[in-house]
Amino acid sequence: MNDDSRSRIMSKVRGSCAGNEAAVIDQAREALGSAPSAALPHTDTCIAFMTNVLRNQGTLDVAPDRSAAVKMIAQYVYQHYRSHRLVAGNDPRLAAMPWRDGGVLPRFGELEAGEQIALSYAQWGVAETGATVFLSGKHNPSRNNFLPEHHVVLVDADSLLPDLETLWQRVNASMAQGDRPRGINCVAGPSSTGDIEGQIVYGAHGPRAWHVVLLGEVSAEQSDTARALHAGE
Amino acid sequence: MEQHSQHFKENAARALADASAVAQRDILALFTPLMREAAVSEFGDFAALRDHVKKMRQHTLDNLDYYLARFELEATNNGNRIHYAETAEDMNSIVLDICQQHGARKVAKGKSMVTEETGLNDFLQRGGMEVLETDLGEYIVQQAGETPSHIVGPALHKTQQQIREQFLENHDLGERDLESIGDLVGEARTVLRDHFLEADVGIIGSNALIAENGYSMLVTNEGNGDLCANLPSVLIICTTLDRVLPRAEDATAIQRLLVRSATGQPQTCYTSFYSGPRRAQDADGPLETHIVLLDGQRTDILASDYSEMLRCIRCGSCLNHCPIFAATGGHSYGWVYPGPMGSVLTPLLTSLEASEALPNACTSCGRCEEVCPSAIPLPDMLRDLRHEQSVQKITPASWRNGLRLHAWIATRPRLYQALTGIGISLMHRLGGKKGGFSKLPLASGWTSKRDFPAPQGETFMRQYRRRSQSNER
Ligand code: SF4
Repeated sequence: MNDDSRSRIMSKVRGSCAGNEAAVIDQAREALGSAPSAALPHTDTCIAFMTNVLRNQGTLDVAPDRSAAVKMIAQYVYQHYRSHRLVAGNDPRLAAMPWRDGGVLPRFGELEAGEQIALSYAQWGVAETGATVFLSGKHNPSRNNFLPEHHVVLVDADSLLPDLETLWQRVNASMAQGDRPRGINCVAGPSSTGDIEGQIVYGAHGPRAWHVVLLGEVSAEQSDTARALHAGE
Repeated sequence: MEQHSQHFKENAARALADASAVAQRDILALFTPLMREAAVSEFGDFAALRDHVKKMRQHTLDNLDYYLARFELEATNNGNRIHYAETAEDMNSIVLDICQQHGARKVAKGKSMVTEETGLNDFLQRGGMEVLETDLGEYIVQQAGETPSHIVGPALHKTQQQIREQFLENHDLGERDLESIGDLVGEARTVLRDHFLEADVGIIGSNALIAENGYSMLVTNEGNGDLCANLPSVLIICTTLDRVLPRAEDATAIQRLLVRSATGQPQTCYTSFYSGPRRAQDADGPLETHIVLLDGQRTDILASDYSEMLRCIRCGSCLNHCPIFAATGGHSYGWVYPGPMGSVLTPLLTSLEASEALPNACTSCGRCEEVCPSAIPLPDMLRDLRHEQSVQKITPASWRNGLRLHAWIATRPRLYQALTGIGISLMHRLGGKKGGFSKLPLASGWTSKRDFPAPQGETFMRQYRRRSQSNER
């Protein structure tokens, strides 16, 4: 760090500020309250999440249990690549999946150039944005979220959060335990670009497709409502 | 970046002469506001969000010393190296130094208007680096040897056909059609993929720096910024010190405003927060991360009457809603930042003299302030800049004298009404039959494009007086 530049800049900044005590500043900030969040498409968090995943151009499967999830993933992979291979992060939850039930052959680790499909286990799903959230770490290589052609994401129905404030409460709580992840990636759709004549094209630099498998107790009525809400726009 | 703002009028005349480019800009000017409008109305209480963010940003700027120090502390604890750059040149040298220390050859860059401002690419290339922009729009303009025309969509001035020809000429990939926009995107993806994998250094910008935890927020759709942030072994974040926000939830509030205002999406495909380098237990990520904080006149703006401009979140909404931007296009402004925000920022970041035309490139319609998510009083600032130009005698003498004459007459109501009365009745007599003038002295700029309508014969004040008198009777 160049100390001279730093002190010159800091002293100029200080010259324009009131120089209040930290406690006064913190109090003023708290008094501002919180920002309103976006209106959800449905009051049920799970329906709202599924609707927004579909609106984000994601595809969606709902699996009641892990065996069903594996079969759905197998079918998705086979449908696109006529193969049962994929790369999964070293997440113990992924290692514990009953892969044989679907005949899937995962390789655990980081995606290498040329490999097409990555499977990640999301920490949370956020209804407000329809995003799946990943914390990078030993179990979660960030590149697996950005390098594949197809990104398949497992997310537990009981890890769905209503809005971004709740997401940060969770992240902050885990940071308070001393765990500050290097990267927090909120993924809400296949990569896209509108840079040529404003026309949206999917598959810019990141994955061309984003497939979410929601795992847990989700009723047929909930999925139908989400699909109807999405179709009705 | 080299500045050409002093040629705004010539640039604008040239831009207006290109009929197909004008038509393309007209379409964008029609449809980008509609996209924003749809996203804003779906949000719920957007006005409350805007008001909250305005207050929160102002609070941050009022206490920037506190939040900047906190960010520095947290980001350093996260393992980043923080660099302070007083000038554009300082930022460029710091970045080149880091690259050279690592023996780097290849640099992959995410979109960053700050580095456009400092001319980083040229500087690194002169220093022997191979620098490739990876945002599709930036990649297209870099390859064409051009500059961005819009802060969000840098290549929106180019047609599909122009980009097709450019790719066929520049990419050695043999015979191919490249018929659709999807084909063009696919080709850029293929060409850039290797570059991501081979790059020694990744450079990105930042949408927000979070003081409470030292994270940097990155909001993108393409995923290129995240590839730059995760694949190369060195990551450099180039940004300015006014990007600091108190808490993560404040960054979230900005995220909600930014994407809706910029592209009309409810959220972008990727919103990422990066704390620093790879830790011992991490599977991947850069081994070293640097954050270069540029002042580049921001502290002067902070101390000036224009400090509210630092609330700008670079959404581009004021560009999309500005009739001057729509008519003349971004390149006419002759520097990094076009449209209303550019007409305020460019004089502040460069000089009033070099940007003389920009604060005048305004119809005072007020749309920019209406749609600005940060509620920046852009029209007031443009007027204040014009005033300063006049005080400093930068405005041409003919204009100043004309305005002085106008002010002298306008502050004498009787004289004003008498003179306008004579003028209006004269014009009515000369042009009344035809209904308009195809030529008028001192108004050739108007009449070269359309007729000037002939007045009805009487001024408003005279009619008003006559009617009030007859009502009294
Ligand atoms: S001035 Fe306002 S509308 Fe314009 S880019 Fe900045 S934040 Fe967006």
